[in-house]
Amino acid sequence: MAATLETQQAPRRTRLRAPKFLLAIPSFVWYVFLFIVPVALVIVNSFGKKIPGTPGKVDLSSPNLERYREVVSGSFRSLLKQTMFTSILGTVLCLTISLPVAYLLAFKVGPKAKTAVLALLMVPFFANFLLRTLAWRIVLQPEGFVSNFLQSGHWFTLGQSLRSGPIEILDTRTAVQIAIVYNYLPLMIFPLWVALDRVELHLREASKDLGANRLRTFTQVTLPLAGPGIVAGLILVFVPLSGDYVTAALLGGAKGNMIGAEVANQYFKAQDAASGSAIAVSLIISILLVLGVLASCFWFMSKLMKRNRAVVVVAR
Amino acid sequence: MTRRDDTTRILISQQAAQRLADSISRRRFLALGGGVAAAAALAACGSSSSDSKSTSPSGGTPVAAGTGSKNLNMFTWAEYDDPDLLKSWGNITLTIFDSNEQAVQKLVQGGGSSGFDMVVPTGPYIPQLAKAGLLAELDKSKIPNFSNLDARYINQPWDQGNKYSVCKNWGTTGWFYDTKVVTTEIKTWADFIKVAQTEASGKTTVLDAPPDLCGIYFWANGIDWTTEKTEDLDACEKFLVDEFASHIKAFNSYPGVDLTSGSFALSQVFVGDARAGLLGVKQAGDDPARYKWGIGAPETEFWMDNWCILKGAKNVDSAYDFINFILDPKNSVTDLNYHGYNTGIKDIETLAGDIDFKDMVFYTSDAQLATMKSGAVNSAQERLVKIYSNVKAKAGG
Repeated sequence: MAATLETQQAPRRTRLRAPKFLLAIPSFVWYVFLFIVPVALVIVNSFGKKIPGTPGKVDLSSPNLERYREVVSGSFRSLLKQTMFTSILGTVLCLTISLPVAYLLAFKVGPKAKTAVLALLMVPFFANFLLRTLAWRIVLQPEGFVSNFLQSGHWFTLGQSLRSGPIEILDTRTAVQIAIVYNYLPLMIFPLWVALDRVELHLREASKDLGANRLRTFTQVTLPLAGPGIVAGLILVFVPLSGDYVTAALLGGAKGNMIGAEVANQYFKAQDAASGSAIAVSLIISILLVLGVLASCFWFMSKLMKRNRAVVVVAR
Repeated sequence: MTRRDDTTRILISQQAAQRLADSISRRRFLALGGGVAAAAALAACGSSSSDSKSTSPSGGTPVAAGTGSKNLNMFTWAEYDDPDLLKSWGNITLTIFDSNEQAVQKLVQGGGSSGFDMVVPTGPYIPQLAKAGLLAELDKSKIPNFSNLDARYINQPWDQGNKYSVCKNWGTTGWFYDTKVVTTEIKTWADFIKVAQTEASGKTTVLDAPPDLCGIYFWANGIDWTTEKTEDLDACEKFLVDEFASHIKAFNSYPGVDLTSGSFALSQVFVGDARAGLLGVKQAGDDPARYKWGIGAPETEFWMDNWCILKGAKNVDSAYDFINFILDPKNSVTDLNYHGYNTGIKDIETLAGDIDFKDMVFYTSDAQLATMKSGAVNSAQERLVKIYSNVKAKAGG
């Protein structure tokens, strides 16, 4: 029996087999042409200089760092700083809001209610992104219904004590911050929920059995196990948020501008691909820097946690 | 004990069983959710591009000219043509741009193969397009209605003899303000600047266009706004960045409706946009008298958007037919009622009849026209954009 099997297998081995990377070729081509080549072009362009009078042609005859000097010394630096601030704050706010929601969803809500909650989270995002953002203009209008309600003297608004005048947050950084948190919230909730959901129940039970209270179970068992999901959520929100310019363009006015809008401005209004590229590359570098800091924070924290835990075990 | 079937059985606590069931549903959800998230992300990407509303020109089935079917691919501004009027002519696919620079860039990059038959640029951008060999020279014999145009709106400096373009409509730039906040009457650009720095500080908007922003300074100080002199541009930058930027609330090309909802107190506007704001106020049953508007003084902008046929056009005959159609006085009035700008047809003022806020559409006295001057795309353009970028950055900080 075994012998026949072997003789059957032998010819199969000699058959021509497709190389293993064959299946990867489509995604590889996609990656090269739609990611690596464009990014490389942007980087190359950023060392050039606009040819005056042409729509976006770049002179690369004497590559230099002049465009970067403009970014660092000029008005773009403060805009870049503000963008990073808005993005970091937005990401932190998203995390703060999402964590309880994801926790409830993973541990406290029954299967039926879970479906309902997920649907409620997702259905609004079937509407167009632009439309949802634009809708905030109506909500935040100084003479809009929210503002009027807050000034209405209704019992819910504690008479008129809550607001003395119309709310003036449209076309400010606050409006951008609110809409950004709103727009990117699901990108945080879903990875968090999946991460928390994968935390084995019996590990939490074990923690309880070994005498840890709820808080300790959360901070020392659930949270570290969900760590990768939290990191994924942070990156998923922070990276697109930093480059977002639609939200800022629609709601930010002059004060809430973001660097992404400046990239678009350089490409379309100024028709200056060199400056636009330099700003875009600066943005990429800033994002990488922030992510680097974040990564080292996590690394440091996990080291600290492990050390602390080891001490505790030995002490007992 | 005998097993009757092959179903897998596991011994498991009730709680864990529930958990297992949940995790299965989670996997199913992930498959669904992943798809939805991807779709949402795509939608977000799509909407960030300015022409998301457009239908791709390749979407329409191009029909060879002369077959009798009327098809056109037009590259134009948003909300600029009466859809019913267009439909009554034939099948027109509109693709939207939101600045001349963007339109020029797209056309130049597309070469002759952009797929569009017509484009609607503002006058000063026509020489640039013509020089790039993108515009077809017009055969006026195919546009008999060209003679309906008022002589004042043909032979513009940027296209002498209307070689490449025919007036679509024209307008001017001025201001629009809420008298609840602004009690001073604004009569000149100098007043505009003063009010922006005081009563309306932090509630002022300017047009989101470099020449118009810098125009505020030039017009107020009696400098030609097409100036190419470095000292003029330096002075303009110094003033706008140091003394004006911090008072700006937004860079908005269409602030009319937002101003009447209380978001802004003072705006630099295209007069037709102020009219749109007032029409909204009137429709809501509120009092339009609360808002005041004016045409820029002592000098201001004269802008004209124009019908042009592209060199690579597939439906050339249809394009001529359409231009001739829209220059028919009756159709022109319909179009005017939609966008609220003067279409430059002879006697259009009488033909339009009694429309709301008529003085915001027709300001055609020779004395008034003499204060308006067309912009120019010249060597100062890049500097103007730099000034605009710096003002924007200063306003944000």
